[in-house]
Amino acid sequence: MIGEFIDGPLWNFALTVFVIGVIWRIGSILLSGVRNDLAEPKGSAGSGAFRALFSRFVPERTVTKRGKLQLIAGYAFHLGLFALLFFAQPHIDFFAQRITGFSWPAMPYWAFIVSAELAFAGLIFLWLYRLLNPVTRLLSDLDDHVGSILVFLVMLSGCLALAQSFEVLRLLHLLLAELLLIYFPFSKLMHAFTFVMSRGYTGATMGRKGVNA
Amino acid sequence: MSETFDLGVEAMKAQLDAKVASYFSSCVHCGLCAEACLFYTETGDPHYTPIYKLEPMKKIWRREKTFWGKLGASLGMGDELTEQDFADWETLVYDSCTLCGRCSMVCPVGNDITYMIRKQREAFSVAGYAPEGMKEASRRALKFGSPMGVTFKTLQATLSHVEKDTGLTIPVDQQGADYMTLFSSMEIVNFPEYIESIARIFKSAGVSWTISSTAFEATNSGIQIGNKEIAAELVGRVVDAAEGLGVKYVVSPECGHAYTAIRWEGPNLIGRAFNFEVVHILELLEQLQSEGRLKLKSTEQTPLTLHDPCQIVRRGGVVEQPRVLLNSVADNFKEMPDHGVMNWCCGGGGGVSANERAEELRLEVFNRKKRQLDQTGVDTMVTACANCRIILEEGIEHYEMDTEVISLTELMAEHLQE
Amino acid sequence: MIYKRERISRRMGRISFTGLLVFLLLYSLPLEIVAEETKGSREMPSVMVLNPAAELWRDVRQREGGNIGISQVRGVDSGVLINANGDRWRKFRMEQLIPIGGSILVGVFVLLGIFYMVRGKVPIEGGQSDRKLFRYSTYERMIHWFVASIFLFLAITGLILLFGRPVLIPLMGKEAFSVLASACKEGHNLMGPLFLVAVVLIFVRFVRRNIYQKGDLSWLLRGGGIIGNKHVPSNFFNMGEKSMFWLLILVGSLIIASGLVLVFPLFGQGREWMELAHVAHALGALLMIVVIMGHIYIGSVGMEGALEGMTTGYCDLNWAKEHHDHWATEVVERGEDVSNEAVERLRRNEPPSSVQLHLQEHGK
Repeated sequence: MIGEFIDGPLWNFALTVFVIGVIWRIGSILLSGVRNDLAEPKGSAGSGAFRALFSRFVPERTVTKRGKLQLIAGYAFHLGLFALLFFAQPHIDFFAQRITGFSWPAMPYWAFIVSAELAFAGLIFLWLYRLLNPVTRLLSDLDDHVGSILVFLVMLSGCLALAQSFEVLRLLHLLLAELLLIYFPFSKLMHAFTFVMSRGYTGATMGRKGVNA
Repeated sequence: MSETFDLGVEAMKAQLDAKVASYFSSCVHCGLCAEACLFYTETGDPHYTPIYKLEPMKKIWRREKTFWGKLGASLGMGDELTEQDFADWETLVYDSCTLCGRCSMVCPVGNDITYMIRKQREAFSVAGYAPEGMKEASRRALKFGSPMGVTFKTLQATLSHVEKDTGLTIPVDQQGADYMTLFSSMEIVNFPEYIESIARIFKSAGVSWTISSTAFEATNSGIQIGNKEIAAELVGRVVDAAEGLGVKYVVSPECGHAYTAIRWEGPNLIGRAFNFEVVHILELLEQLQSEGRLKLKSTEQTPLTLHDPCQIVRRGGVVEQPRVLLNSVADNFKEMPDHGVMNWCCGGGGGVSANERAEELRLEVFNRKKRQLDQTGVDTMVTACANCRIILEEGIEHYEMDTEVISLTELMAEHLQE
Repeated sequence: MIYKRERISRRMGRISFTGLLVFLLLYSLPLEIVAEETKGSREMPSVMVLNPAAELWRDVRQREGGNIGISQVRGVDSGVLINANGDRWRKFRMEQLIPIGGSILVGVFVLLGIFYMVRGKVPIEGGQSDRKLFRYSTYERMIHWFVASIFLFLAITGLILLFGRPVLIPLMGKEAFSVLASACKEGHNLMGPLFLVAVVLIFVRFVRRNIYQKGDLSWLLRGGGIIGNKHVPSNFFNMGEKSMFWLLILVGSLIIASGLVLVFPLFGQGREWMELAHVAHALGALLMIVVIMGHIYIGSVGMEGALEGMTTGYCDLNWAKEHHDHWATEVVERGEDVSNEAVERLRRNEPPSSVQLHLQEHGK
């Protein structure tokens, strides 16, 4: 009964909330508008935005020196999570069946394990850093913790269901993922989309000034 | 609740454009901006984290632009911006931020934190929460045309000294000249050598130039305190003078925020594009040199290093020019670590130098500059901002260092081929 | 007055702690019952004369090394259908490891409880001072809590796997337990390798301060001060902490190595290796769990001021003087002790206090 609900209606609901919520958030940001810059540009805003979108993946020396820990943990977590999300066989099967209708090659089992280890280590480290570093401690609010814990629980339930032999465990994983999807548009998790805009805006401003940012 | 407080809240709401909305949406509170800020690295106090300085603006954003904030507001709950917030954050916003823009360079999601602090100052100044020193400077700028109270009479006295020393006549209010040159009060009062250097270089390169008697001041207190009305008024004076004289170019002097004010914010402040171009003195010198009009002899043997003024380099885009110029006169030019767009601020930008109560903190964080300089092992530092220069000299004196600070333009003038 | 209230609250703490102990004792009763049951059922066949299994096993044991047959299936040990070692291992696990290991865990828990009731929380004798010493950097605290969280997760899932049959099946039934066991097995296997990472990070960071020094032995001879009321001076880490560190490194390595043998059957390890690895893994883990129980005891209820260093990074000066006198003296001599206000200032949630005056200045 509950299983059917999680597998059917709740999934559709969560997906709808996620999609509409994300579009609404992005739309409302864009609609806030930016004033037209009248100063004569030195360089191109477009190429500046494009450049910043990718150049920010490469950390500045200040970050590699003073933010080593977050840099390594951050990359480990994000790369691991992306690999798991899009290239784990069960996920690909799920996407193909529910959303896309087609599938793509999955990563081998050993790569799956490595990704999971990286993602877990990274997330735990980042969260501990959030709690223990004076700066992040000061900045963090409830949203940051809820987001971290939800993502952690989704990952954990996923790895507990790894044997793929119990429907209950699969449903638990799915339920948590659905909660995450519903929570997503209302939270900091939105940075997964809005970072493109932030980098773009800053890159455009700096591009006009002829600075590579 | 006072009236100015309400105005402050309104001003804050008016700042929430798409950039600010996307920046706050993207910020994951990673705290990396702190590692780029000299106020944090030198004090270790987490309250100096750049994004934390924006907490008041974030409150407004959350209430105006997010689901939870709007829900809370409609239920009469949630965090509201209070007058106490303005009071609490005033020193964070004005004393411990030089608008240097290093944090904006390291943010992994690409937030331009400096842009937001600049905007937040708009609300703070309207609400009346700005440092006395900066308020005074703005008042003087509006009244006398200069934040230091320098009038045209004072300038004339300096000019006549310069004319006597160089034997050159300095053109004032010359209709139809190509370049109208601006100065900062700091240069008129403390560094008249700069004016002298300009006169000699322009003479040697055959540049047609002039000074306006109505708008010679380049600095803009309105930008620093964050008041767009004051800023627009001050920019407007320059624009009127330049368009009245019919010049093709306005030359921004060796002053950081003056360049940002006239070059990047100016047209947006007065709401239209200029009928002239704005160039920084370094851009002009580099152009003259590449055209072969500025003839320099490379004779400088002393090891030199360059302090990049934040507003000219990182926030202004004049990155290569000072290096080209330096290399053409010096054989021993050595870059500092983190040079160029990631250079560390002198600690006195963004109006901090005009803010007396910030002096202790400013001298404390100068340690960062000191270390950077020590790593270079060079005793002569060239820079291109009169404000940086004063601050650097104060820091050097405070830490009893053996470093000389010289102006890039003056260095060029010294190496003119006669 | 305050002192009296403190004593009352301490007593209340002790009473509730005792209650918890009693509850846990009752909780572990099913274990004994089940153990009895299995014993009983095993003894029964010996009364009966006919037992085909006994004959079979006697035959198997008498054939020395000749148990390997031929099979089309390729793989390690694929020719072995039955072997005596496996049965020996099974018996060890069922008849010794589970009951004895379980009793030890419960026993240590009870002992700690009794110890607490006798000794109580060891207070800072001079009381909290107004100065603090910086003890652990953010990174050090991070790797500590990293290894701690991984260890706890592995310990809990591991204990469920080991004691699930006698303890949990009677409580939750076989269906539910099979789900839990599968989840725990997958979680345990996946998180296991992270323990390796964690232990390596701990080793690299803390090894220098954990090398035994002069004075460590006298600390040991005087019982570390926890027995009796005299504190014994020590360095950054005392003999007890150092010993725990080396136990973690050595026993931890054994657990990790045996765990890897178990979880990655890629290197041709056969059943015998696996059985050995399992025994080493279980014994090592039980030992480590007991040690960590003591560690947690001191950090939580056993000693005032012990946890602070690992949460805030700063420890109380008086605490440091009482427990790590040599180190405390060094730090104070270097002038690196800080006032409580300075620490408080860095950890507060409001902006710096110098600002508070401005409302008055503005005349509002």
